[in-house]
Amino acid sequence: MTFHWRRALAVAWKDGLDLRKNPGLVWSMFALPAVLVVVPALVVWAWVRSPNEGQLRDIALFYDPAFVAGANATRFVVDRFVAIWFGLYLLMPLFTPILIASQSVAGEKERRTLEPLLASPVSSAELLAGKSLAAVIPAVGITWVAFLVFSIAIDAVAWPLVQTPLLPNAMWLFGVGVVAPLYAFLGNGIAVLVSARVGESRLAQQLSALVVLPLMGVVAGQLAGWLRAGASHYAIQGAVVLLLDVVLVAASVRLFDRERLVSRWS
Amino acid sequence: MTPRIEVHGLGKRFGDRVAVEGLSFAVRPGEVFGLLGPNGAGKTTTVRMLTGLLRPSSGSARVCGHGVGGQGDGQALRRSVGLLTEQPGLYDRLTARENLVFFMKLNELDEAQAWSRARGYLRRFGLAGREDEPCGSYSKGMRQKLAIIRALVHDPEVLFLDEPTSGLDPEAARTVRDAVAELAVEGRTIVLCSHNLAEVERLCGRVAVVRTTLLAEGPISVLRRRGRVLEVRVEGEGERAGAALSAVTGVSWTAHGPLLRVTLADEHQAPEVVAALVEAGARVWSVTPSERSLEDVYLELVRDEPAEAA
Repeated sequence: MTFHWRRALAVAWKDGLDLRKNPGLVWSMFALPAVLVVVPALVVWAWVRSPNEGQLRDIALFYDPAFVAGANATRFVVDRFVAIWFGLYLLMPLFTPILIASQSVAGEKERRTLEPLLASPVSSAELLAGKSLAAVIPAVGITWVAFLVFSIAIDAVAWPLVQTPLLPNAMWLFGVGVVAPLYAFLGNGIAVLVSARVGESRLAQQLSALVVLPLMGVVAGQLAGWLRAGASHYAIQGAVVLLLDVVLVAASVRLFDRERLVSRWS
Repeated sequence: MTPRIEVHGLGKRFGDRVAVEGLSFAVRPGEVFGLLGPNGAGKTTTVRMLTGLLRPSSGSARVCGHGVGGQGDGQALRRSVGLLTEQPGLYDRLTARENLVFFMKLNELDEAQAWSRARGYLRRFGLAGREDEPCGSYSKGMRQKLAIIRALVHDPEVLFLDEPTSGLDPEAARTVRDAVAELAVEGRTIVLCSHNLAEVERLCGRVAVVRTTLLAEGPISVLRRRGRVLEVRVEGEGERAGAALSAVTGVSWTAHGPLLRVTLADEHQAPEVVAALVEAGARVWSVTPSERSLEDVYLELVRDEPAEAA
């Protein structure tokens, strides 16, 4: 059995077309990036506009007990906040493919389009690849565009304090360029697996979305000072997610079974 | 002529449930073959096996020379067949053109060539000029017609049609029926699953009646003569000759002039009936199994058969 990219790309083309014609889904895809860009910009703007050195020094000492007395606490807190925020920012590449893939796989069942699709020459692997491309490419694209907007916004609001661009820095570039796509594959893999086993897209979305909980736990750990956000921390996260991606791809290929899909859902 | 579809003892189980068992039939090129049976009889499962969507649990089948459920995942088989499912299964947000182009891409067709063929079908089905409208705005009949065009877009040798005229108005149903007949004339093999027996009688040369197992299979003309009613033409009054049939167990009769219409308890009683008439001195001119409607034959078959787990 040969894998034909042309057929996989046809599936991605159709899903992309269907996505563009679904304004509800498109708007919901942009809601999370908007929050993840606007909220931190407002927080940094507030700190820079009227810094309360005393309070911010307390925060700085909480995160770094060796914080030097004469150092700029606002700058320290802004740097720390931007580093920690990346953990939350990863929700974007993780969650966006869940929105798309749940619709595209479970949606085929709901709309009764699955049987004609499976009766075409497309193989399970091609179908899986096409659907994954249709979910991962927009997710990574949105993440990258949002990062550009985020960098401009943070640099603009932090300029009076730092007089130099804070972003992009090496950690964020590595995170957005490498870790974020790995998270997008993770979100997609989970959504595809769940969608292949449940009957409706909404349920698939709800169940798949539970995957954000461990990520929220990690961010909570950073905020509590138990984990230190930084390049090495996110590199370890990336390695773990890469491993999960490999496991999910293997499981998806095995479980995305034509006969099971047809007999249960068509 | 080599059959395009050959089915030998085909069966499918889902866990402990037997959906289909021991089906055997063959369908030739250019033939419209009816697959009949009540809901849950295994028609859709059979079609799914023959289109490479399900692997048979037992038996074997070949469609266009491709084995069903053999090695690989049946890509070559699926390329040779077209399938109209019970639900049209169209992408509502996409236009008719986009729906068709998607399936052209999946079949790796030359889009210009395939589109020119599709345009011909769009004209034949009265959808020309509407191809750039979203399918969600189509009526049920238009959707059904578009789904048929989608099944034909890769020019398959065998076409499986599940309830092709279900829910269509009489005019649209007529268009679809005419198209099915034309496709058969072009040499395509068509398997038609339908509950509309008048439509089956009009379109199909042969049918198979299934209810988990094969109940009957053959030309409709033969099936219509099958069964338990004999028309016996005798010399003189049928009324008098019919009196002799009281000796034959379970037989009832009516007479209209020289014509006796005899209902048998068992179709094997025919020789017994003729013998009783001759012994009573009646002169028998002809004995003909009564031609009944396909509906009568079908109902008799499916009522006689105890329901299987379906």
